Amino acid sequence: MDFGFSPEQEKFRQEIHEFLENDADAKGAKEEWAAGNGYGPHTWVIMKKLGARGWLTPAWPKEYGGLGLPAMYRALAMEEMDYFTGRGSRGVLCGIGMTGTVLLGHGSEEQKREYLLRISRGEIDFALGYTEPEAGSDLANLSIKAEDKGDYFLVNGQKMFNTACHYAQYHWLGARTQVVEPKYKGISLFIVDLKTPGITIIPIQALGFKTNQIFYDNVKVPKNCLVGELNRGFYYIMEALDHERTYTTSRLNGELEKLIQYAKTSGKSKDPIIRQKLAQLSTEMEIAKLFALRIPWMLDRGMRPTPEAAILKVFYAELQQRVINTAQQILSPYGQLKKDSKWAQLDGEFELEYTASLEGIITRGTCEVMRNIIALRKLGLPAR
Amino acid sequence: MDFSFNEEQEMLRKSARQFLEDECPKKFVRDMEEDEKGYSPELWKRMAELGWMGLLLPEEYGGLGGNFLDLTALLEEMGRALLPGPFLPTTVYSSLPILHYGTEEQKREFLPKIAEGKLIMTLAITEPSGRFDEAGIETKAIRSNNDYLITGTKLLVPDAHIADWFLCAAKEGEGITLFLIDAKTPGINCTLLKTLAADKQCEVILDNAKVPARNILGKSGAGWEIASKIEQWGAIAQCALISGCLQQVLEMTVDYTKERMQFGKLIGSFQAIQHQCADMAIDVDAVKFITYEAAWKLSQKLPATIEVSRAKAWTSDASRRVCLTGHRIHGGLGLTEDHDMQLYFRRAKAMELAFGDGDFHREIVAKELGL
Repeated sequence: MDFGFSPEQEKFRQEIHEFLENDADAKGAKEEWAAGNGYGPHTWVIMKKLGARGWLTPAWPKEYGGLGLPAMYRALAMEEMDYFTGRGSRGVLCGIGMTGTVLLGHGSEEQKREYLLRISRGEIDFALGYTEPEAGSDLANLSIKAEDKGDYFLVNGQKMFNTACHYAQYHWLGARTQVVEPKYKGISLFIVDLKTPGITIIPIQALGFKTNQIFYDNVKVPKNCLVGELNRGFYYIMEALDHERTYTTSRLNGELEKLIQYAKTSGKSKDPIIRQKLAQLSTEMEIAKLFALRIPWMLDRGMRPTPEAAILKVFYAELQQRVINTAQQILSPYGQLKKDSKWAQLDGEFELEYTASLEGIITRGTCEVMRNIIALRKLGLPAR
Repeated sequence: MDFSFNEEQEMLRKSARQFLEDECPKKFVRDMEEDEKGYSPELWKRMAELGWMGLLLPEEYGGLGGNFLDLTALLEEMGRALLPGPFLPTTVYSSLPILHYGTEEQKREFLPKIAEGKLIMTLAITEPSGRFDEAGIETKAIRSNNDYLITGTKLLVPDAHIADWFLCAAKEGEGITLFLIDAKTPGINCTLLKTLAADKQCEVILDNAKVPARNILGKSGAGWEIASKIEQWGAIAQCALISGCLQQVLEMTVDYTKERMQFGKLIGSFQAIQHQCADMAIDVDAVKFITYEAAWKLSQKLPATIEVSRAKAWTSDASRRVCLTGHRIHGGLGLTEDHDMQLYFRRAKAMELAFGDGDFHREIVAKELGL
């Protein structure tokens, strides 16, 4: 056992840390993220700068723009980026975490050349296209239809909560290619240019972030945009979700640090109840950090961390709720004051987080679905 | 980063599990609850032959030269088996402080005998105050020529009734001094207390017990520094026991949900049960990692105050949660004395309380955070 990092890993982390602290565009990008609107001009600049150094995809092979390093380095890079970005950090990006992961394993050579280098250089991103009005936790129930018309697939239907659609260039689309039981055996994955005629994107303002509905009306998708094998999409989705649930705790830890500092300077830290609560959160944060680092450690050993990623997701998302609720208790009446209000404490951060954090317990699989995964896949309990 | 035990540790774990499955079945655990000694001298001897008593001691004192992670692997198996007896009091609470703070003469006198299984020791710190800090010590040591006269009451001293020697904390002036005391010293009176876990915890009354000054461990008046180190070692050792104990509770409970039918279905197929099992599994993984991290720090001789207290705070609370859920899922059957679940439930409480519960350790964490 070893709970430390090697000198090379520490150096790698430090380089990213210093770059983000000192780069002018990084600060602009941070503000864009915090506004909850997705990528703005500064973000695209900083993505390209990070990409040029290989830091977006350190674990990818060098030929596709990576650094050929173990997955642990990717976790370290993400930790630094999430810590810097703070509020609004979206964790794993679709292009890197989902598209990239699936293309590396199952994409055609043509697709790899077409997309991977541009993803790793920070030139393009993808919008995750899974959720539908009738396919939330039950993703296999998705119904958007992709018909094989010989020269192309004809796509019709609707997607919901596809958050990156208004700033990404491509849609990472899960669509039904066969009506079959069980339903998950009739799903395929496609890469769709979001500028393709017939696509309509309608914004939804959610609590603390902007997301979208997206409609496909007789959209023609070229045959070479099918990813991997027909009707194997659900398997690829599940595989990549283990990666997407690679959280880092650095952002949430940053919030806890601010809260601890506030307790000290405000004198609230003398209260034994507050001392107990903050000590408990700091303990849980350490556990979350270890759960997070277990994922890349397993990936580097060729293990597939499905229930482990589910454990991380549940623990992290529920810890986030506890951090924010404790913050609200410590801030007491000040907790309700918004960022720009007179008397707002800690820049109104925890007023914003009180609602914005709700996304965490829902997205990437609800905590309840995660518990199902742990029960079935880790403990081997009977499905029915 | 590496989350796994090394090959030797896995071997130690495997052989310990096999040995304890054979030698420490639940019938033995139940028998020892009734037994006045609470341990088997025969089994004790065999554990010594396996090198367990000297696991953490250097070879020159008859030990194996292992570290805290090796010990963690072994203790998890002892926790899983609910091994009764004075293993921790003799090793972690006594032989380690002698190794780290004793004179060469003390080391030569005690450590080889402990490693050989020929000496049982225990730690007498806690008093009627029920506190784990320096202010809780009222037992007095008064110097008289080359001796000390020690008077006071020690409570919840594990296995004192069978111990050959005590490591005892007493107040000397304003400071605390630790003494190595022969259990046969006149003026010492030991009474077995009746406890929830039917483990053997005692009241030890010292009435002008005469102890030679050469039996001071460490420096006179500077004993609390050693005592807090022992409390740290003791706390993480309890975490490792809890970890093994909870792994077994989880396995036992999950197995039961796969065979128990109600409403015409296996209860493990109900989401209400599945989610409770998932929460147990999350708790158990958390217990393991937070314990391993602290044990690793100790094995590397790095400062570990906050890590140990985080570990004991979390495992203490988790032990109650996991055992309670185990009971809920086992239903009425688990409440019967014939069932093993209640053994784990009762022992878990004793481990939770040993060396400070969650509240106690959270306050240490708070201090370490600068609050």
